[in-house]
Amino acid sequence: MNLPPREVKAKILLHRRIGPDYFRLQLACPEIARQARPGQFLMLHITDLKDPFLRRPFSFSRIFRPLEVKKKPLDEGGVEICYQTVGRGTRLMTQLPEGQRVDLLGPLGNGFRPEEQCARVILVGGGIGVPPLLSWAQELRKKGSGKKRSAKASEASPELIFLMGAKSKEKTIGVGECRKWGIEVQVATEDGSLGMKGMVTDLLGRELMTGQHGATALYACGPNAMLVQVAQVAEQFDLPCQVLLESRMACGVGACLGCMVKLREEREPTPLSALSNQDSCPGEAAEERESREGAISMISGTPPFRYARVCKEGPVFDARKIFWD
Amino acid sequence: MGSKRDDPKMSVELGPLKLKNPVLAASGTFGYGEEYSGIIPLKSLGALITKGLSLKPRKGTPPPRLAETPAGMLNAIGLENVGVQSFIGEKMPFLRKAGCPVLVNIFGATDEEYAEIARRLSEVEGIAGLEVNISCPNLKAGGSLFAAEPKAVFQVVSRIRQAVSCFLMVKLSPNVGDIVPVALAAEEGGADALSLINTLTGMAIDIKTRTPILGNITGGLSGPAIKPVGLRMVWQAAQAVRIPVVGVGGIGSAEDALEYMIAGASAVQVGSAHFIDPRVGLKIIDGIRDYLKTQGIPDVSSLVGSLKTGQDSRRTDR
Repeated sequence: MNLPPREVKAKILLHRRIGPDYFRLQLACPEIARQARPGQFLMLHITDLKDPFLRRPFSFSRIFRPLEVKKKPLDEGGVEICYQTVGRGTRLMTQLPEGQRVDLLGPLGNGFRPEEQCARVILVGGGIGVPPLLSWAQELRKKGSGKKRSAKASEASPELIFLMGAKSKEKTIGVGECRKWGIEVQVATEDGSLGMKGMVTDLLGRELMTGQHGATALYACGPNAMLVQVAQVAEQFDLPCQVLLESRMACGVGACLGCMVKLREEREPTPLSALSNQDSCPGEAAEERESREGAISMISGTPPFRYARVCKEGPVFDARKIFWD
Repeated sequence: MGSKRDDPKMSVELGPLKLKNPVLAASGTFGYGEEYSGIIPLKSLGALITKGLSLKPRKGTPPPRLAETPAGMLNAIGLENVGVQSFIGEKMPFLRKAGCPVLVNIFGATDEEYAEIARRLSEVEGIAGLEVNISCPNLKAGGSLFAAEPKAVFQVVSRIRQAVSCFLMVKLSPNVGDIVPVALAAEEGGADALSLINTLTGMAIDIKTRTPILGNITGGLSGPAIKPVGLRMVWQAAQAVRIPVVGVGGIGSAEDALEYMIAGASAVQVGSAHFIDPRVGLKIIDGIRDYLKTQGIPDVSSLVGSLKTGQDSRRTDR
C-alpha cells in the first residue's frame, strides 16, 4: 500500500545539459525522497502561468534518501529526473534556474517489483528510457545483485546487466555512473559511435542466446517499438518482464482516466499464440476453446481487453499483460 | 479585522441543497473522490461530483485520450466508468466518509436509462443529489443528442424528475446555438439547479503524421481557455431562469470564481485546474473569503448576479 503522494515546493539543486537534448534536474525534496521507489514518478509544474497548462510526469533517475550526516544539500534528501526536450513544455523547463523552487507531486505510481529467485537481471533501456532504470539498477546493486559476474554467482546475488541503447555516443546516459557503481553495462548505438553498432534489442538477443544462465528477469523502458520487441523476446524465452510505460498525463493520481494503456483481459486466455502452449483449460475441450476464441475475434476483431491507468496501476506493467497494438 | 465573528457567510443554497461554501469539485476531474483523499482534505469542499456514471460499466475510448492545447486541454475519455452496481458497492463506502456532500453525475443512452440510474441511486444512503449529464461531447447517446434540443432536454429531465425526488442539477453543453431555450427546458423539466458549461468540442492534429492526436479524433476542451465562453453562457442562462446556476469552465483561482458569481453563478465547480494543483479548490475558498472581507461583503450570496452593465437589468427576481 502506497503512502499518499506529497505536494512540495522543491529547490532546484542542479540543472545541467547532459546531451544534445537531454537534461538532468536534481531537486531537494526529503518528503518525496523518503518514500520514493524506483519506477515511480513525480508530476512537475513547469510554470505558474496557465500555458503550458498541465504538469509533466517524470520518473526518478536517482533517489537520494535523507542521510544522518548532512554534508551537502542533497544529503537532506532529494530526487533526480532526466528529460528530453520534445515540445514547448520541456523547452521551457530548460530555462528553470538552479535555486528556483518548483511544485512537485509525488511519488506516484507503483514502481518496479523485485522478481523472486532469479539468477540474472537484465535491464534494457533505450534513449531517454535509460534514466528511469538507473535508480532501479542502483537499488538492485545495493541489495547485492551483480556482485561478481562469475561462475560462483549464487542465488542470493544474481547477475546484473544493464543494456543501454542510444542513437549515438553523446546521447547515452548514465554509462559511467553505472560502471562506477560496479554494474556491467553494454551499449549499442545506432551509428556505432559507442559500443556495438545496432539496437539495444540486438544486445538483448545476444545476451540471451549465449552461455548458460539460470532464471532471468527483464526490466525495460524506452521507445514503444523497443518495448514491443523486448516483450516479444520475453515471451519467446518465457521470462518475467516488467516494462515502464510513458504516457501523456493530466492528473497523475488516477482521477482523470486520461493515460490509459490497453491490457489483455485476465479472465480470458487471450493471446492466441499462447493458447497452443497453454495447459488445457479445466473442463473445456480444445475445440470449444478454439471456437470461442474464434467467435470473440469475429465479433470484436480483437481479443478481450481492458484499460488500465498508467499513473495508478502502472507505470510499471507485466509486459505479457499489455495489449501491444 | 479577521476575527471569527466578522467572517463573511460562505454557505450557499442551491434550491433544497445547502452547501457550506460555493466551491465544488467538477465531475470527471475528481475521480470518485478517493483519488484525492490523502492529498487534500475533502471535507473542506462545498461538495464533490463523481465521474459520470452509467447503468453498465463502460470501457471508454481508445487512447490517446489527452492533448494539451493553448491554456487548456482536450480530453476524450468516452465516459469510462465502473457502472452503477460497482459504484454503489465499491465507491460509496468511501464517499459516505468523505465529509462533504457527494453529488453523482449520471448519464444514459435513453430517457428510461437516465430515470433508471437515478432511481437506483436515489435509494443509496450518502448521496446528496444528482448531476445529470446531458452534454458530454464524446458520446452520441447521452450526449449531444439531448443537449441541443430543448424538447429532448425537457423530456429527459422531467422523466428523471418523475422517478426521483432528490436534488437534481442538469449540466448543460456549450455546444449549442442558444443556451437560453435549453436552460429554460431543463428548469421546466424539474431541475433544481443548472450547471454550465461542459467542455467545448475541439480537435488537435499531429502535422507530422497528419493524424488526430486523440484516439476519438475529437474531444472536449477545458481549462483557462474556455473561461470567457463559460462566463458568457452562465450570464445568459442565469438571467433567463429562476433556479440557481452553478458556473464551471476554466476556473483556477478565486478571481475566476468571483467573476462567475458576479455573472450569476450561485456556486462554482473547479475542474481541470485540479490536475495542476489538487489544492486549488481550497485556495479558491480562502481567496473568496479574503475578497469578501476586503470588500466588506458579509454574505457571498450577495455577489450572485451583481454584474453592473449600465443597462437595464433583465434579471427576474430571485
